[in-house]
Amino acid sequence: MPRMWWVLGVVVLAAIFSAYLGWTAQRVERVHARAQSAERALDSHLLRRAAAAAVVAEHLESVELYAAARLALDAEPDERESAENDLTRQLQGVELDPVDPAARALIVSSRRVVLARQVHTDLVRDALTARQRKLVRVLRLPGRYPRPRYFDIVEPVMPPLPSPAPAPASEAMPVQAV
Amino acid sequence: MRIGIVSPYSFDVPGGVQNHIMDLAEALIELGHHVSVLAPADEDAELPAYLVPAGRAMPLPYNGSVARIAFGPVSTARVRRWLARGEFDVLHVHEPLTPSLSFLAVLSARGPVVATFHTAMTRSRALAVAQNFLQPVMEKITARIAVSELARKVQVEHLGGGAVEIPNGVAVRKFASAAPLPGWPGQGGALGFLGRFTEPRKGFPLLRTAFVTLARARPGLRLLVAGPGDRDELFDGIPPELHDRVEFLGLVSEPDKVRMLRSVDVYVAPNTGGESFGMILTEAMAAGATIAASDLDAFRRVLDGGRAGALFPTGDAAALTTLLGDLLDDPARRADLASCARHVVGTFDWPSVAERVLEVYTTAIEATDGRVFDDDEA
Repeated sequence: MPRMWWVLGVVVLAAIFSAYLGWTAQRVERVHARAQSAERALDSHLLRRAAAAAVVAEHLESVELYAAARLALDAEPDERESAENDLTRQLQGVELDPVDPAARALIVSSRRVVLARQVHTDLVRDALTARQRKLVRVLRLPGRYPRPRYFDIVEPVMPPLPSPAPAPASEAMPVQAV
Repeated sequence: MRIGIVSPYSFDVPGGVQNHIMDLAEALIELGHHVSVLAPADEDAELPAYLVPAGRAMPLPYNGSVARIAFGPVSTARVRRWLARGEFDVLHVHEPLTPSLSFLAVLSARGPVVATFHTAMTRSRALAVAQNFLQPVMEKITARIAVSELARKVQVEHLGGGAVEIPNGVAVRKFASAAPLPGWPGQGGALGFLGRFTEPRKGFPLLRTAFVTLARARPGLRLLVAGPGDRDELFDGIPPELHDRVEFLGLVSEPDKVRMLRSVDVYVAPNTGGESFGMILTEAMAAGATIAASDLDAFRRVLDGGRAGALFPTGDAAALTTLLGDLLDDPARRADLASCARHVVGTFDWPSVAERVLEVYTTAIEATDGRVFDDDEA
């Protein structure tokens, strides 16, 4: 009889372990898939920012800004980070008027770059944390997913949100005191 | 956008997080989005249309106070049903690290999750220990929002992740239209203070000193104080002949707080530190009060470097006295400050705060999906 208990115990343990493995594999898969999606989203927003910057540069007839925007758009992957940093630096000196649609597009996309980068960094960190676990390394759970990379750029300053329509607060305010 | 919001705390009891969620939900609905809020509440309680009750909350001691929360298998089933029926584009949970509906919702969520952190949890060591245990929850959260600089710091330092700082909004319309308390502000000038006057960091003694000095020279000057605390303790520090010129309201309800802020000529925030975000200042600004505040970093930022309210050196009672005297004598300057404050407070108004939250929603959805929306939707 004792042997049967032994066998039963092993079977139960094996079942628990395989359930845990399945759960872990699913988690690892998910964080890697998210890190990839976040990278694509960040890439799109960087392209939008550069395109919007090029339009604004044409309006302002700013050669330097235009060059920085073009370089960011055309950069090879290994030059991308420094090209984006150059564009960020150029943009810092530009005064944007939210009434102008081109400037507005640039403000909106610049804000989204900051947010997308933040989320991308967090998701990459989650994926890298998952990869560090011994179980994940030994069993090579990330499988087909490449090691995610941080996108290492200087954090751009987030321009204030352009208000859709200036709130007529000043006229609503002087409420008559009783 | 279809948005599901989860509140950890019951709406039966008022609280900062609950107010935040209600104001946010209403602002989002006004912007044309579909919003459903899941919160612990009695089914037969009177609730707003967008609120889905998740059953009665159990009182549970947490973090030094009693939180009313819902947790357990029944709650889990309700959370799952709500998620399945809602078909949300994004799930927004508040305080997901408390044992609550928020926590359960994150565990059951499949799509993009946005989490807002309200409190700055100071028990960092406990948090560090719990980090491994919490990782499965944290990694399901796509984007994080912190309501204050301090809450953001805790995120960055102890939970190893960034967070977007989006301050609490203020319902400007509500504040701007309230009526002052009967008989206030009156002719002789009125100063106001709101907060726990016994707490040294709130700096009430500075205002008391300034008031006593000014009141001797100005026979009509009055002081209006609201906040928790003992009446006798407040009057102990004030000379008896001035007692009838101080009015103490005690702990006030939300509507009375609004009226109180509209009842004074100058609202004074003499805090000496520890204020992570000047929520009360944004409320005073919305109420159209002229503000005199300590030159703390947080206050200076909210007051746009001193344009939307006068600043005095932190902890300097003499400077405060001079400043208040000047402000009381100069109605034009008061009006200038107040009108600038009304303009500046627009950035803290709920509709514009909701726009910023929507940006984070969109970012979270895009980061899950990999596709980016059109510009118009941003």
